Amino acid sequence: MRFINRYILFFSLLLIFSGCSKFFDKQPEDGIIRDDYWQTKEQVHAAVIGVYASLMGDPDDDDKNLDITLFKWGELRGDMLAASLGATSNDLEIMNMTTQTANSIVDWSPVYKIINLCNTVITYAPGVMDYDQTFTQEMLDGYIGEMKALRALMYFYLVRSFGDVPLKLDPTSNDDEIVQLAKSTQAVVLQQIVADLAAAEPITLTTYGDQATDKGRITRYTVEAIQADVDLWMENYTDAITACDKIINSKKFGLIANSSAWFTNLFRNGNSNESLFEIQFDQQKLNDFYSMFGVSSKEFIASNKVMDEIYTTEISDTTNAMDIRSAGAAVRAEDNVIWKYIGNNATSMIGSSDSYTHWFFYRYADVLLMKAEALAQISGRGQEALDLVNVIRSRAGAPASTQENPDVNSVDELSRYILDERAREFAFEGKRWYDVLRYAKKNNYENISYLQDFVGSLVPSNTVRLVKEKLLDHNSHYFPIYTYELETNKLLTQNSFYQ
Amino acid sequence: MSVMKKYRIFSLIASLFLLSVVVLCCTKTRLTRTTSNSPNIMDYLKNDSLNRFTKLVEVINRAEYATELNTYGTYTLFAPTDSAIDAYLKEQNLTSVESLTKEQWQNVLKFHLLEESLSSSTFTDGKLSAITDYGQYLITGIKNINGTSAYWINRQAVVTQANINVGNGIIHAIDHVLEPSVSTIAELLEKDTTYSIFTQAVKETGFYDTLNSIKDNTGSQVWLTILAERNQTYRDSGILNYAALKNKFSNTGNPKDASDSLHLYVAYHIIPDVKYLADIVTTNSQSTLAPLEVLTDKLVNDTVLINDDSYSTIDGTVYEPGLKMDLSSSDQSATNGVLHTVMGGLKIKVREPFPVYWDLCATQPELTRLSSVYRKQTFLFDYGDGNTFAGIKWEKSCLKYRAGVNGYLGDYWQVGMGRSSSNTDNLGTCSGNSWIEFTTPLLVKGKYKVWFCYYRQNSTTSSVQALFDSVPLTSALIQFDKKISSVDPSQEANLAAIGWKWWAGVNKKSGSTAARMLGVVDVKETGQHKIRFVLVSGANSDCNFDMVQFIPVDWPSQISPRFNPDGSIEY
Repeated sequence: MRFINRYILFFSLLLIFSGCSKFFDKQPEDGIIRDDYWQTKEQVHAAVIGVYASLMGDPDDDDKNLDITLFKWGELRGDMLAASLGATSNDLEIMNMTTQTANSIVDWSPVYKIINLCNTVITYAPGVMDYDQTFTQEMLDGYIGEMKALRALMYFYLVRSFGDVPLKLDPTSNDDEIVQLAKSTQAVVLQQIVADLAAAEPITLTTYGDQATDKGRITRYTVEAIQADVDLWMENYTDAITACDKIINSKKFGLIANSSAWFTNLFRNGNSNESLFEIQFDQQKLNDFYSMFGVSSKEFIASNKVMDEIYTTEISDTTNAMDIRSAGAAVRAEDNVIWKYIGNNATSMIGSSDSYTHWFFYRYADVLLMKAEALAQISGRGQEALDLVNVIRSRAGAPASTQENPDVNSVDELSRYILDERAREFAFEGKRWYDVLRYAKKNNYENISYLQDFVGSLVPSNTVRLVKEKLLDHNSHYFPIYTYELETNKLLTQNSFYQ
Repeated sequence: MSVMKKYRIFSLIASLFLLSVVVLCCTKTRLTRTTSNSPNIMDYLKNDSLNRFTKLVEVINRAEYATELNTYGTYTLFAPTDSAIDAYLKEQNLTSVESLTKEQWQNVLKFHLLEESLSSSTFTDGKLSAITDYGQYLITGIKNINGTSAYWINRQAVVTQANINVGNGIIHAIDHVLEPSVSTIAELLEKDTTYSIFTQAVKETGFYDTLNSIKDNTGSQVWLTILAERNQTYRDSGILNYAALKNKFSNTGNPKDASDSLHLYVAYHIIPDVKYLADIVTTNSQSTLAPLEVLTDKLVNDTVLINDDSYSTIDGTVYEPGLKMDLSSSDQSATNGVLHTVMGGLKIKVREPFPVYWDLCATQPELTRLSSVYRKQTFLFDYGDGNTFAGIKWEKSCLKYRAGVNGYLGDYWQVGMGRSSSNTDNLGTCSGNSWIEFTTPLLVKGKYKVWFCYYRQNSTTSSVQALFDSVPLTSALIQFDKKISSVDPSQEANLAAIGWKWWAGVNKKSGSTAARMLGVVDVKETGQHKIRFVLVSGANSDCNFDMVQFIPVDWPSQISPRFNPDGSIEY
């Protein structure tokens, strides 16, 4: 009988550990332990840290990690990727502008998962003050600010990718609990984003005491960077400038100078003085990029355009080298390998077990170029915009071949120059498609023909005219809602372009 | 003891069972889809929640197609809605579905039905990849109405709902009934008087009947594509009527004669296949009814250009600007093909053959764009998916580019034929290959001597044969171990007579800078061709492929010019 007990006990324990392993996670994921949770300030802290940890991915479902999602949403429709041996039919569908609703890349659940975690903290953390007298209003505000800003950032990705999306602000106890919720319009969601950021900005802390934490958690400066980005999208240019100026005037950030250690310091090691907010992958939780770019059956390489046109191989007169952002940073020029996430330095590649280069949400370079973009739209401030672009270019040692000489009084020439410079500065950082779309759609889609030519140059030659006509329907600029969501949430209606 | 053992086994099994139950409980529920519980086409149309297809169901019943559409298959059905069928009946002055016979409706339906399931992601600017049961292709496109883009089928109907997946195929709901073309290409030409000069040339040369037939002598379907010219194009170049055209082109006075230049002129406007513009731009040359004359094409932004060519001669690149296709009057479907309009005087190019001194490295854009590699360092190119280079295919493993050597431009491809390549600069080796194939630059039709230029490196014997468009060149094999016995300038004519020359300039010439005359090729069609090198015997790890020279047989010199590693050329 002792044996029976021992075996049953052993296997029972085993199944508790293995079957539903989240039991021992600290963060209240899937709400298993909500009733016992939310009693002390330490628990609130752990929950918030848990949300940041969730940005690194879902241990249950490697295919649906946030880094893959954000990379593909931002880059697949851009001009800097080319399909390689490991590219899937889903990748190609999106690259060729033939996305179908069953394409799992448009599954938004990795983003809503983060939103749900933010909602959980925002809803339950205030109640902890009743249990734990040492938990102050100020501490609570700090956490709420972080979570509202992160939620706003996630919704900002959603509206830029899907247009209209369901606006879910309450927590659900289980990720898979099906919530029946209709879509809100892009304008309504943006309104919520703006409100969340406005609420978060004054209460979010400016520092958590050490450099690494300041880059891995949302500080007030990150809130302001998101505000600037949202303002640009909504064409509120003076607000964008105000937000950028707050960051610039804090004098807490700078550009990492051009040197042989530039790539390693800025990208490989991360947490640099240039960074505002990163996903801090580490040896315990690796990102997905080595398997996308580093293995022989890699999913993507850089398109020829990256070295031929975007950077060019010309040497800069001042640094006597190619653009520091080009070969050995964005790509390995010999074979177009996407280098940013798999380089140790300019020449040696990391191993598969070292794939923890961070994901960069915002860098100081972005703040400067966002400000430049806003200035460019305001008459009389074109020279200031151009000066900022030149700051970015001189840091990079950009050669004369990529220098344009825009008329500082021409909004369009400046905007195009900034768009091109952003391609160079943020290659493969998940921003390209959003930058192009933002440029195309401003002033009531005044640059739709740019978008048509841009996409037309990327698709197979026998669908160019078809794709250009598709793009005249603005709904085609946004993804369809994934079939699974439509089937489970009956209140959702499909993007009309995909009906 | 044995009782204990039983208990242990029992408890082990019990625990495993428990474990499996719990594991199953923890799996998330996902919706599953199987073909078996989806309705078939007919069921879907009958039970459509929006009741859009009641008339179509009537039509299908009248045509007695209901059973077929409910059986197993992979169909595509373009399903006209009720309002579409009503409009069609009204247009045909019919009172009801009963007014047409079973056979008539069958013909209508056949034009809406394909035997392959095609979702909207396969739609292009041209025809669908499968033909309708009626026997004519449907073309696709996009129509934008007030900011909403929808698929546009055959320029007749807009897709109101795409990609309805059913058990036996896919349905696209459309807002108009599709009607097949009733005219042949010849009739389309005849109808449009702005083509009248060209049409008359078609008639006088005897091509009218060709363009008017739907079946050929053997009873199979005729598919042709015509690039027609408008009267305005002729007037712009001073040709006011057919007589002037005939006067300009016809050299025998009898345009029906197959060798008459006017006859060839018209033949050059006809492609013997059904090619919508989207099909034309997917390959870069098209054969025509003019024997051995091809059209080249390219897509620049969204303009289709015909015969927009540049070719390199020793004096630099010659560019011949191409002719635009008129988008609005192209892609007109006919019962036997398609009609396009070309703008600006399409005629057969008369070109004399000229020598092509072809460096096998410098002509590969995938190499030359790598500024840190090209002419700078030795590099191994991955086989990848076999498409690393558009213009080079090889059997397997990597391909070694060798820089800093005594080839023309200081480089060559160094291939291990029959054994692994040598391990240059410790980069590693590539497996032995038994063949490698290059796509040539544009060659004007004519007869050429083919010279293969290599740099002799080591003495292991190997024999490689060249094949031009799969035809073996038989004058000589390439033996990468053979040197020229004597590089005596006074003997160069004698050497050339037995198929040897040195390709390097006066200061660089040696027995190793050898070129072999492989044979004479008769290039029948102006265009790009393939030359393949196949190992016949032996093995050599350092076969250095540097240049191939195509020199017209009657060219003044088969020997000069010569080429140096620094890129200079000596005449």
